[in-house]
Amino acid sequence: MINKKTSNKDDSKLKIGVFICRCGGNISDTVDIEKVKSNIDAEVVEEFENLCSINGKKNIRDNILNNKLDRVVIASCSPISHEKIFQDYVKPLNPYLMDMANLREQCSWVHDKDKSTAKAITLINASIEKVKKSHPVNPIVCQIPESVAIIGGGISGISAALSIAKTDVKTYIIEEKATIGGNMVKIGKVFSPVKIAEECSLCLLNPLINETVWEDNIEILTKTKVISGSRKSGTFSLLLEKSPRYIDDALCIACGKCNEVCPVKVLDDFNENMSYRKAIYKPFSQSYPDAYTIDMENCKKCGNCVKICKMNAINLEEEKELIPLNVGSVILATGHKLFNPKARPEYGYERYDEVITQNELARIMGVNGPTKGELKIPGSKKAPKRIVMVQCVGSRDEKPNAHKYCSKVCCMVALKNANIIKHKYPDTDVIICYTDMRTTGMYEKYYKHCQDNGIRLIRGRPGEIIKNQEDNLVVKVEDTLTREFVEIETDMVVLSLAIESSDGTREIAKQLDIGLTEDFFVKEAHPKIKPVATDVKGAFVCGTAQGPKDITESIMQANASAAKVFELIHKGIEIEPFIAEIDYELCNNCKECISRCKHKSIYIEDKEIFIDPMSCSGCGECLSVCKQSAITIQGNINEKIYATIKGMLKNKQKGEKKIIVFLDQIGYTAADNIGINRLQYPESIHIIKVHSVNRVTPDHIIYALKNGAEGVFIGEYPGDLMYDKVEKKINKLKKYAEKQGINPDRIQFSKVYIPYFTGLAQKFKIFDEKINSISN
Amino acid sequence: MKPIPDKNILLFKSCLISTEYPGVESSTKYVFDKLGIEYTIDHDQSCCTGLGHYSDVFDQESTTLIAARNFDIAIKNNHPNIVTMCATCYAINKKAAKLLNNNEKIREEINTVFKECYVDRKYEVDSIDPTENIFHVVEIIYNKKDKLKDLIKIELSDDLKIATHHACHYCKVFYNDTIGGVRDPNILDKLVESCNLKTVGWFNEKRTTCGAGFRQRFVNKDLSMKVSSEKLISLKDVDILIHMCPNCHMQFDRYQPYIAKKTDNTFKTMHINIMQLIAMMMGADIEKVVGLQTHTIPVNIKAIKNEDKWKKINKAKEKLERKKDKKL
Repeated sequence: MINKKTSNKDDSKLKIGVFICRCGGNISDTVDIEKVKSNIDAEVVEEFENLCSINGKKNIRDNILNNKLDRVVIASCSPISHEKIFQDYVKPLNPYLMDMANLREQCSWVHDKDKSTAKAITLINASIEKVKKSHPVNPIVCQIPESVAIIGGGISGISAALSIAKTDVKTYIIEEKATIGGNMVKIGKVFSPVKIAEECSLCLLNPLINETVWEDNIEILTKTKVISGSRKSGTFSLLLEKSPRYIDDALCIACGKCNEVCPVKVLDDFNENMSYRKAIYKPFSQSYPDAYTIDMENCKKCGNCVKICKMNAINLEEEKELIPLNVGSVILATGHKLFNPKARPEYGYERYDEVITQNELARIMGVNGPTKGELKIPGSKKAPKRIVMVQCVGSRDEKPNAHKYCSKVCCMVALKNANIIKHKYPDTDVIICYTDMRTTGMYEKYYKHCQDNGIRLIRGRPGEIIKNQEDNLVVKVEDTLTREFVEIETDMVVLSLAIESSDGTREIAKQLDIGLTEDFFVKEAHPKIKPVATDVKGAFVCGTAQGPKDITESIMQANASAAKVFELIHKGIEIEPFIAEIDYELCNNCKECISRCKHKSIYIEDKEIFIDPMSCSGCGECLSVCKQSAITIQGNINEKIYATIKGMLKNKQKGEKKIIVFLDQIGYTAADNIGINRLQYPESIHIIKVHSVNRVTPDHIIYALKNGAEGVFIGEYPGDLMYDKVEKKINKLKKYAEKQGINPDRIQFSKVYIPYFTGLAQKFKIFDEKINSISN
Repeated sequence: MKPIPDKNILLFKSCLISTEYPGVESSTKYVFDKLGIEYTIDHDQSCCTGLGHYSDVFDQESTTLIAARNFDIAIKNNHPNIVTMCATCYAINKKAAKLLNNNEKIREEINTVFKECYVDRKYEVDSIDPTENIFHVVEIIYNKKDKLKDLIKIELSDDLKIATHHACHYCKVFYNDTIGGVRDPNILDKLVESCNLKTVGWFNEKRTTCGAGFRQRFVNKDLSMKVSSEKLISLKDVDILIHMCPNCHMQFDRYQPYIAKKTDNTFKTMHINIMQLIAMMMGADIEKVVGLQTHTIPVNIKAIKNEDKWKKINKAKEKLERKKDKKL
């Protein structure tokens, strides 16, 4: 290809073509194109009315072919808007041998006539110097294995698995418990967003469980945990530990004879410990696998079950198994747990049997629950005449040992359970003590429906629940609407507990080095626009592992994470080539780079260090810590920055002032916005777009200051992972500059935001004035 | 847990303790000496303004000014660790230190007042850290609770029911600095345990305020007494309520007979400050150090030692009370 040949040429012999766009007057009305053309030294200098048109493409391509151009400079609008188009227009030239000089957003739109022409020449010269140092590089394509591990077999995990498996991708559901189904199997009824009714949750979930079981592409691993994991070049290597079931689920026909002869009774966690099960048990009738399992913690190994099992399915000596698993993506569907009610001693959960949780109430009301659906006061056989529900137990609480967030579903859960009670026991008085009722959208109709059914509401958070001298429960609460203190005598209290991150979420996040929020939920790559991606490429999240949400939302997120997995699997991913590479002849495995990489891209495998191209941002931080200089970044970026600085400072006139500004994609877009909004800034400002601000080294800055630049301005978006690093680096550099005899005030580091372009223009102006005062 | 000092301590005098229960201060000094805690008292120190501040007599600026003055005294005395015996002094000083450190305008205003009054005082930013320089005395003792165990000489009978009353301004204002729990406060319970005694732990209304509410006791007396009586009723079978704030102590000790009469109840609860209890358990003189003779409710505990002396004191007290009762 031509690329190989040209890259070996001497810089000065390179044939460069400069194409100037008039942009329908947007540029040419302000910039004197003729003057520019006569001041540019290049093989070809052409002007065109609309360079981005199809005719423009023909003109560029013909010139490249006829004049055997090695490099191209497009002097037109901002690369933010048209870079991809012109990378295509310069074919057959390598797209990275073209550079754009921004004559519109950062020249004709921000300066007036007499100033913009000189600026245009400078910008084009900078681009010419830059392309001279450009190397041809090709985008990197990564292919990842076509398989997915879903951690957690609740409604989120099941939904994601079904969605993925239907596209013929191998899917593994890894579930710690003896059955899939998660929390949804326990809650009895679910509220329906549109229908003003409660629906049977198991009737909705069971078909999905069946579908999951029948789907050939899904492999369900129950009683299985991830015990370690790592991610390299798009492949996750997981090590799974499968605990023994002690019963071969292929042989077990779930006849239940073993259960009859088992002498050990233990509390049944399916029923929130309100009933008993045997040590050999099936979690619930529809559980999957459709087989019994043994709770070895409680089993006495009497052997009764072994003797009675006609299928010979029981093996009390079964051992745990380690399973290695390599997959292309991981979906975290590790669910949630509930706030510990014991942390609120004032509500008496530990002291009084009659104080229960919403989940316990759901089991009591469940036809497959401990009372077969009959509402009874725990600890007695009587039906309650009054029930008080307490909302926000652990949620929306600023004090220590609580969560500041709203758990989002509890208002609806309380209304649902209250309504079920009202429906079955119309004479039972149900009072909900709430902070605010949050029943958004269609749920508001359900809320009204519940009020019509006679559910009473008191706005206030109970201070304490006590037993009076008659041994009755008393809820003490201030009705904040009437501002009266009320004491409600009641038979039962139901606490609506906050949703918390599960232990499983924290464990898997630690194993895969996935970031968590301050509340220990999985942190999204961006809370607004990347709601299911995590900070580890290829790892996604759905359901309550990411934060409190209801079933509908969990399923939506599950489907979204499935879609994200397809994106990765479908064609592999094309990555910009400016990423770090290791020279293994130089690398001495010191591992310094691993911890320095904020993007979690560097890992070690078989004692060798690797950089994952999928997550490397090309920030270059690893280069600075590598004592062996074993890491390089493709595309000759270092030299290109020097060359651009050189070009910007070329032909500097006496009395002229030049300030070099380094901005990355975000800062550059903000600077473009100044032009788009036709605001002005001093013509001394010369902006250089860099891949990452971190790639601008102290040497670059000192070079600029020693070779004619009066000032250097570095802008960085505070949300960038490298922000703190860059800020520290610049502060250090200022001290170094002082030693070099350079006034440190000539260097400025500043925050930039895309929408805050007026602020950036102002900062340019202030820095320009500051530079004036320094040189005077 | 935050770092807790055992030297350079300014024991911050409290108006209510000095006038109502001086035994708390003498007990604190006694316990500090036994535990080898280095402290001083500076008689230039003034009241924190607490009662006045919460009764709308002193505004925040005057309160902050007075705190700045007291801080300057502590610093110049080389005892910058301010340790209060009253929960209100604790919270007032913490808030003032926060304001002085974080609000430049207030700091300047206050330093201007010092200048205009020709006083040689100044508050330098961050010279007092609200978390690392201001403590309640229970925290100092809590830090030494293991050593404390070895110094206990007295035994009390096993059937005594002891409960704790944690002051609001210790638990409910600066949550993050509170030791021993905010939801289920128990720093006093732990200190009682260090004296080889047991508490009842959680009880109904454990976190309820004493009801004093500063001006509430005077301007909303019915409401104030209602709160206090609810708490007292929930404590009916408790023998001793342990306090850490003289205002709560006063509310219960002084008004218990009044509330009993008003609500037609009989209460047996005795009220002792935690420092009085510790000093007593270390064997301090009941009158000269612990100062139980200033209490309204006679403290009549069957201790293994000193029993006779108490009986004598309390008999005299009871006589006095009966006279007072008639007046009420």
